[in-house]
Amino acid sequence: MNLLSKVLRDPQRIRDWGVQEWNHFLPLMRRARLLGRCLRLFEEHGLIVEVPQRIQDQMRGALAQTLYVQGQALRELRQVHKVLAREHIPVMALKGVAYLVAELPPSGWRNLADIDLMVPKKDVEQAEDALLSAGWQPSGDFDDYDRHYYREWMHEVPPLKHSMREIEVDLHHNLAPPVSRIRIEADALWETARSVTAVKGGELWVLAPTDLLLHNAVHLFMNDELRGGLRDVVDFCDLYRHFVAEQPGFDEQLLLRARELNCGRPLYYAAITGQRLAGLVLSDEFLRALRPYAPSFPLASLMHGLIERVLAPERLGMTSTAIANWLLFVRSHWVRMPFGMLIRHLSYKALVSKKPATLDADLPG
Amino acid sequence: MPPVNVFDKPQPDSLILRSGPFNVAVDAEDQRFLDTLSYFYREAVSDTASTLIDYRIRIRRPFSHRRWIRPQTLLEVDGIQPFEPHPLENAFPMYEWGLNWCIATSAHRYMMLHAGTVAFGDEALILPGTPGSGKSTLSAALHLRGARLLSDEFGLMRPEKGDLLAMPRGIPLKNASIEAILEFDPAASLGPTYPKTRKGRVRHLRPDASSLAQQDRPARPRWLVFPKYQSDAQEELRPLDKGEAFRHMAFNCFNYKLLGEVAFRAVADMIGTVECFTFTFSRLDRATERLTELVRQ
Repeated sequence: MNLLSKVLRDPQRIRDWGVQEWNHFLPLMRRARLLGRCLRLFEEHGLIVEVPQRIQDQMRGALAQTLYVQGQALRELRQVHKVLAREHIPVMALKGVAYLVAELPPSGWRNLADIDLMVPKKDVEQAEDALLSAGWQPSGDFDDYDRHYYREWMHEVPPLKHSMREIEVDLHHNLAPPVSRIRIEADALWETARSVTAVKGGELWVLAPTDLLLHNAVHLFMNDELRGGLRDVVDFCDLYRHFVAEQPGFDEQLLLRARELNCGRPLYYAAITGQRLAGLVLSDEFLRALRPYAPSFPLASLMHGLIERVLAPERLGMTSTAIANWLLFVRSHWVRMPFGMLIRHLSYKALVSKKPATLDADLPG
Repeated sequence: MPPVNVFDKPQPDSLILRSGPFNVAVDAEDQRFLDTLSYFYREAVSDTASTLIDYRIRIRRPFSHRRWIRPQTLLEVDGIQPFEPHPLENAFPMYEWGLNWCIATSAHRYMMLHAGTVAFGDEALILPGTPGSGKSTLSAALHLRGARLLSDEFGLMRPEKGDLLAMPRGIPLKNASIEAILEFDPAASLGPTYPKTRKGRVRHLRPDASSLAQQDRPARPRWLVFPKYQSDAQEELRPLDKGEAFRHMAFNCFNYKLLGEVAFRAVADMIGTVECFTFTFSRLDRATERLTELVRQ
């Protein structure tokens, strides 16, 4: 367990910290994109006076950036919504931007790089066309294989970006890829969705509370390389605490819904990981009810070990992280794709590996 | 794809540099790079092991065949590689850009003016400008005439106090500016020439020891001068309307939109207290003379 994880479980421990601990802590927090969350955590526990000014400056800087990007995300959402409302296509906000429009706890600290939206599957092509003709463009370079991969095998179209703005729009039509072994039927999600009042002219939807949590779990554990990282685990914990406090019987609803949507396994992983790595408190009844969704013993402990090494590595850039990451990457594709498709995909990606995009161009100096 | 980081060694003892309000830990093995770093910043090395670190920058060779053929160098911050590898000999400019990247993407606790800033005692002259305006070269020239260097690029302002912090760094002179500075002051302390970087030919001017020794000393904005380099132009220092100055200043602030109201108030307060000018110049000797005159008035 790394230092960040230990602090999330027990923030009081920073009272005894010296320079060495803070120097270890800052890069972990930055890499996990949790500077804003830790600032809130220390504030909530009256610990801010224990945090050195220099570290506070870094945390406040990150939070200022987050609040700015949140504003941009909302503006982008309104623009997209306006275009799609004209086409009478219902829009659902997902993940970060959903927490924002529904004013849920992660919105107090959570950064976002893009906005994730869902439209009904039958409307997805029309929605993409409408956005393309209203000034959005495919963001980044996609070769034919990538485009094919997105459209045919995934649950989204390639990311779009408006030519005049910074923020990316990811348009989904389902919460898990249609080819994966764990399926969430989008129709069931639309049935229980709730409308929020964040935009004018036409409704904007977010998932029901139970589904917000299940989506987080599916996204975190069904995705390549646990991409959202510890940040998504903390999202889960913040949402879970909020709904449990707000709605009596929430645990039962959540379990019921997990069974309905066939997401017991991801819910199990998310809840247990939240408990292990971020100090989420789960009731004994809830833990007992989750047990049937746990994998068999040797696999469960292997997975918990892998998850911990990827989400909470002792130091940044450790080999064991890379290896654990790789295994999870393969596993997540195994979950997502039928076997033959997996072999084809991995061999294509191994042959055509891409360089990261360079960022120097815009730099001062 | 999983991260490609295959290095698992514990980090070697870092060199800790004070760069204005930031403490930077540098991990590197390349001796040539370390020599250059020491040429520029030996007065800024922090001698204590109990320093809180803002940015941890690692400079290393990528693990590939390029280790031997046209070797490259790579910059890592918190295990992330923000840029593609650079040619090995460009490690120092890469470090400078890397640190700028760290600051520009995270230091929103400060308002970051895109401006050269120099101080005379505790009073600052601010030279905002887009690339090509000549602000770096002019800052370098003023520094060589004895002005204390705050920064050639990042005017770091504490919005709540309205003062500017010093962050003296090597001033990257580009292309013809290198000769212009050498002609202006043949004794200028310049580092190695980097003939091929992404920004062309680059050579850095070393900040003087006194500027580095006074990194802790903030300065109050007193003069705001928008420079414009124009070949063969006669120097012309013209008072600038404050409303106009506000608009130009807001435009020349990296995180103006991000900071929102905080930045609006800080810029407005600053404009209220400074004298504003536009300045067309060509020759550095006459330009520095004119600005020194302004400061002495």
